[in-house]
Amino acid sequence: MDFGLTDEQIALREEVSRFAANEIKPVAAEYDRNEAYPDAVMEKAAEMGLLAPHVPIEYGGIGYSTLETAILVEELFAADPGIGLCIASAGFGAEAIIAFGTEEQKETYLPPLVEGEAVMGAAISEPHAGSDVSSVSTRAEKDGDEWVINGNKMWITNGTVGDYFVVVCETDPDVDDRYTGFSQIIIENDRDGFSAEKITGKLGIRASDTAELVFDDVRVPEENLVGTRGMGFLQIMQFFDETRTAVAAQGVGIAKGAAERALEYAQEREQFGRSISEFQAIQHKLAEMYTQTEAARGLTYKSAWGVDVDAENVTMLASMAKEYASRVATDVADEAVQVHGGAGYVDDFDVGRFYRDAKITQIYEGTTEIQKNIIARELLGKGF
Amino acid sequence: MMKVLVTVKEVAEVEEDFVLDGTRIDDRFLEYDLNEWDDYAIETAVQLAEAGDDVEVVSATIGPERCEETIRMALAKGVDRGIRVWDDTLASVDLLDVNAKTEIFNAIIAEEEPDLILTGVQAHDDSFGATGVSVADAAGYEWAAVVNALDLDADAGVAHVRRELEGGVEELTDVELPAVLTIQTGINEPRYASLRGIRMAQRKEIAQQTLDDLGLDEGAVESQITLTDMYEPESESDVELFEGDADAAAASLASVLREKGVGAQ
Ligand SMILES: Cc1cc2nc3c(=O)[nH]c(=O)nc-3n(C[C@H](O)[C@H](O)[C@H](O)COP(=O)(O)OP(=O)(O)OC[C@H]3O[C@@H](n4cnc5c(N)ncnc54)[C@H](O)[C@@H]3O)c2cc1C
Repeated sequence: MDFGLTDEQIALREEVSRFAANEIKPVAAEYDRNEAYPDAVMEKAAEMGLLAPHVPIEYGGIGYSTLETAILVEELFAADPGIGLCIASAGFGAEAIIAFGTEEQKETYLPPLVEGEAVMGAAISEPHAGSDVSSVSTRAEKDGDEWVINGNKMWITNGTVGDYFVVVCETDPDVDDRYTGFSQIIIENDRDGFSAEKITGKLGIRASDTAELVFDDVRVPEENLVGTRGMGFLQIMQFFDETRTAVAAQGVGIAKGAAERALEYAQEREQFGRSISEFQAIQHKLAEMYTQTEAARGLTYKSAWGVDVDAENVTMLASMAKEYASRVATDVADEAVQVHGGAGYVDDFDVGRFYRDAKITQIYEGTTEIQKNIIARELLGKGF
Repeated sequence: MMKVLVTVKEVAEVEEDFVLDGTRIDDRFLEYDLNEWDDYAIETAVQLAEAGDDVEVVSATIGPERCEETIRMALAKGVDRGIRVWDDTLASVDLLDVNAKTEIFNAIIAEEEPDLILTGVQAHDDSFGATGVSVADAAGYEWAAVVNALDLDADAGVAHVRRELEGGVEELTDVELPAVLTIQTGINEPRYASLRGIRMAQRKEIAQQTLDDLGLDEGAVESQITLTDMYEPESESDVELFEGDADAAAASLASVLREKGVGAQ
């Protein structure tokens, strides 16, 4: 068993952390307050090749493995989860095109993501279909050689800044099976009948764009179908292990960022004539924060490793990593605020923002409850 | 084809709190990083390579295995290959002085015959600020020190440079190649190594050379300088508060700045 990272992975972590320290940290609070998408940072991230690094080399990316993506995501989120998500999500949904897309789709949609010319999104959730993805009701009907799409998508990351979306639509409502009859279709934001409305007032990750998408008789050519008609869900499910591992890495990053800030503050702040880091109560908090973060990282790396080399058997591990790392993120951010005392309760320090940001990792990409359902289902040997 | 040699150094940075151990600072209190000036020199070289047709950029460094990580970051930013000089003799030298560095780089220059050599103005740790010019002298190259703008005309074999002199004076000079330019911070904006560059750098060559490989012996690195003492200077700080309205405060500030020598002429 080898727990070491390669020289390349170490260099990746160091250079991304240098980028994050110089380009993200100084502006994070401002984007959070303004709920603004960080265009200027995205441009620099594109220059460094941070966008959609999982895109294969032939299409301009690097072909990053799940583990390498996890390292990248952790560093970005340790600097700032909001801007971190903007960078990490620029190629959301691209995995479907990479795995199931036609050559033409790959050439059209993948290179612009890497170059920072386009941003995309994955649209699954709807106002009435969250945890229960099989109740998706956005409808795509075939009309000649076009798809005509009607429906609403809710909570879509990159909704108002995205150029195209892989949208899960019901294409064959008559099939009996709960999970077939859905298809993934690419919808560009400049199609007639497409509209996106930004959702404001989010608790955290406020730099990240979230929107409701409305499709009103949107027409796209039949070539926009990704993969096989009717197999949309089965296609998406293949990536849950990967995307959940990525959210686990977000949690590890948040925990790391919060713990580091708490450690620093504890050594600066003095009360009763000494550094608060001399109080055992504070020392124990720090010890626990770092231990939990390391445990979450171990589970996340193992899940990433599983996705990369043992993809058949990783589902339970990916859910464990996602559930645990997101819990650690919220717990550690909570303790980081506590270590800061009153200073942690205002936005002069980062930890208050981390505390708000952490919560999302327990909600999106399958809630904590859904992850536990999956773990239990695997334990009890039931199919989905 | 043009060849650019960039000298790079991994420098030690001392943590805020540290303990002196004779004339040494214990490794526990040191962090190693690329010399700041060299980052600008690397960027200058890589930009030349990107602008030119057939430009090879080679980095040369004197240092232990530890600094391969730093050199590889230079390779990730676009340097084509690296040379690292180290052996037991070098490891046993207390203080590598300018002469020793000159001998080593000179041997590399004889081997590589670069058209242009870029060094940092100085190294952040021992701040001799002399290596670049000394190397130029020994190699018989033209030179320009403290360059903060460069316009290279490779076909004509001339580097049009702007040099930063004392007291805010700048000088425009033409330097004929082959030449050594010592690069000042601020000449450009050093890039981050791209993820793709980091991947490609893993396969680039860092050739390790010993003094012997370079045709040098112990005598070449014998120093005429010995480090006799190391101590923390007493530091004093002085605060002057300007009172009054903005005009009065600005006037007092201006006179203090003038007194301290800021803004010549
Ligand atoms: C900021 C943000 C960004 C998002 N980005 C995207 C995106 O890019 N694309 C996308 O498609 N979606 C996105 N989502 C949607 C996200 O995936 C859903 O919010 C999530 O799946 C939960 O669905 P819901 O909000 O409808 O909650 P509900 O499903 O209504 O859940 C409410 C509560 O009930 C619990 N619950 C539901 N079912 C069960 C069950 N069977 N057993 C036990 N408990 C259960 C849940 O765990 C939760 O506690 C995003 C959401 C947010 C907030």
